Amino acid sequence: MEYKVKLLSTVEKAVFDLRELYRSYGYSQFSVGKFEEYDFYAQNKSFITGDSILTFTDMDGTLMALKPDITLSIIKSTKASPALRKVYYNENVYRAQNASSGFREITQTGLECVGPLDVYSVCEVIMLSAMSLEKVNSDYLLDISHIGLVPGFLEYAGADRESAKKLIEFAGEKNLHDAAILCRSIGMGEGHIKTLGKLMHMRTRLCDALDELQGLDIGEKALAAANELSEISENLSAIELGDKIFLDLSLGGDMRYYNGVIFRGFISGIPTAVLSGGRYDTLLRKMKKDGGAIGFAFYLDMLTGHFEEPEKYDFDILLIKNGNDPPAEILKAVKKLSDQGKRVRVDVSEPEGLKYEKSLTMGEIDG
Amino acid sequence: MDNNALNIALPKGRSGDKVFSLFEQAGYGCPEIHEGGRRLIFENKENSLRFFFVKPSDVAIYVERGAADVGVAGRDILLEYSPDVYELLDFGVSRCRMSVSALADFNAEDKKILKVATKFPHIARDYYASQVRDIDIIYLNGSIELAPILGLSDVIVDIVETGETLRENGLVEYETIVDISARLIANKASYKFKYDRLTKLTKSLLAVIEKGKEND
Repeated sequence: MEYKVKLLSTVEKAVFDLRELYRSYGYSQFSVGKFEEYDFYAQNKSFITGDSILTFTDMDGTLMALKPDITLSIIKSTKASPALRKVYYNENVYRAQNASSGFREITQTGLECVGPLDVYSVCEVIMLSAMSLEKVNSDYLLDISHIGLVPGFLEYAGADRESAKKLIEFAGEKNLHDAAILCRSIGMGEGHIKTLGKLMHMRTRLCDALDELQGLDIGEKALAAANELSEISENLSAIELGDKIFLDLSLGGDMRYYNGVIFRGFISGIPTAVLSGGRYDTLLRKMKKDGGAIGFAFYLDMLTGHFEEPEKYDFDILLIKNGNDPPAEILKAVKKLSDQGKRVRVDVSEPEGLKYEKSLTMGEIDG
Repeated sequence: MDNNALNIALPKGRSGDKVFSLFEQAGYGCPEIHEGGRRLIFENKENSLRFFFVKPSDVAIYVERGAADVGVAGRDILLEYSPDVYELLDFGVSRCRMSVSALADFNAEDKKILKVATKFPHIARDYYASQVRDIDIIYLNGSIELAPILGLSDVIVDIVETGETLRENGLVEYETIVDISARLIANKASYKFKYDRLTKLTKSLLAVIEKGKEND
C-alpha cells in the first residue's frame, strides 16, 4: 500500500523518517508495555522528566504506574553482553510537566546505545540526534555541554557544595549578576568570577569553542571534561555538522545519573527544546550494571501543528443528496469524483463549521 | 506582521514605563508607544521590534512559551514561578525586597507551626525549608498586612518597598529573604536562534544601566 506523504502530519512524518534513520544505523526497535511497578520509578524519580507519575492499583494490590519514561525500562531489560545494545523506540509516555498542565499522553521517540561504549558510539549517537533534528527541519541547532565541566570548575574555584549547587542553577539561567553576588559572598576571587561568566555565556560553534575553553584557568576536572568534548568535536568534524552544533555550558542535568556529554536540540519556531540526551553511565551503576550508556529522546508532541500548511478546505465537493436520489447512482457518482482525485462528502444538508470548494446536487453532476 | 521581529513583553504600569525608557536610551525605542490609546501591541517596523504590555506576573509566561523573545520580569515572579528562561540582566530598577514581617510582639523562637500569610507560597516554603521550620501557608491575593493583625497568621511574607504600609499597620519587618529588582529574561530557543540580536540588545541595555550608575 502506498501512502501519500502530504496526508501525513509533521509528527506522523517524523515517526516514519526517524524510524528509517535509526534502522539504517543498525538500531532495533524496542517495544514495551504501558505499565510498570511504581516502585521502580520511585527509586529513580530524579531521572524522569516532570514531577508526577500516574499510578493505579492492580488486581493483586500492587501499585502500578503508567510509564512516564522508556529509557529506564530499556536499561532494566539490558543484560550483560560484550556487544553494544542499540535500540530505538516510539512509544507513548504519561506524565505531568507541572501542576497546572495535568497528566498528558506524550508521543516520544528516541534511541539508546548501551554497553562497552567508545568515542565512536558517543559520536554516532550525537550525530543521529543532529540528523533527527535535520529530518524534521533543516533550521535546527544542537547544544552540547559536559555535565562535569561547570561543577568541576566550581570545585576548583573553591565553592562549597551548597553554593556550587546554587551557582549551577544560576549558570543554567545565564544569570551572572546573582552568581557574582554569591561568589563574592563566599570569597571567590574576581578572576574565577570572570571565568564563570565566560563559561556560562560561552556560545560558540563546538569546533571553534574548545581552544578558548582549554586556554582558561578551569582546573583539572573541568579541563578533562573539555578534553572529552574536544575529542568528540574532532571526530564530528568528519561529517560536517559543525555549523549546527554549539557549545553551551549552561545546559544542566542531574549528576546522580548523567556523567559525561549532554545535549539538547532546538528547531526554529518551537519555543522549547525538542530533543534531550546525554551519557548516563551513573544510572547503569545505580542499577548495578556494567558498561556505559548514551541516548536521547525526541519529544514529538512538541512538533504538533508546526511546519504544516493549513488546508484551505476540509473537502472539495459537498454532494447534497435528497431522498429521491437512488443510492446506487450516488455511489457511482461519488466513486467517479473520488477517482478524479476529489475529496467528496455526501450529506443531507450543509455541515456546520466545515469548508469546501463547492456544493453540488445529483442533478448537477455530469453523467 | 514581521515574523523576524524581536518580540518584547513589558510589565504594565510604573515598572514597565521605567524599563521602556531604558530600552529607548539603548536605541530600542518605539514612537507608537507615546501615542497612547488602548492598543496592546506597538511596532517599530524600521527596527523590526514589537512591544506588548502585559500583567507583570504574566511576562514570564509569554517569554517561556515563546510568544515573546525577551521580557522584563521582577525577581519575585521568577523565584515564585521558576519559568524555564534565561535571566540575562539586572536592570537595577523597581528595587524592593521580599521580607518576613509580623506584629511587634511576635516571638520568632516560639516552636509551634508558623502560620505564614503570603501571595508567594513557593518563595515562603523554600525560605522556611532552608530554616528547617514547619509552616502552614495561608495563600492570600491581597491586603496581606491584615492577616497578623486579625490573628489569621503569625507572619507575612511579602514585598516591601519603603516599609510605610507595614509601619502604618503596626507591623515590623524582621528578615529580608531576597532583594528584588527588574530582570531581562529571554526565551531559551529565541536566545539561540536570534543570538546576535539578543546579545546586542543585552549589551546596549547594560551600557545604559552602567552609565546610569555612573551618573548616580
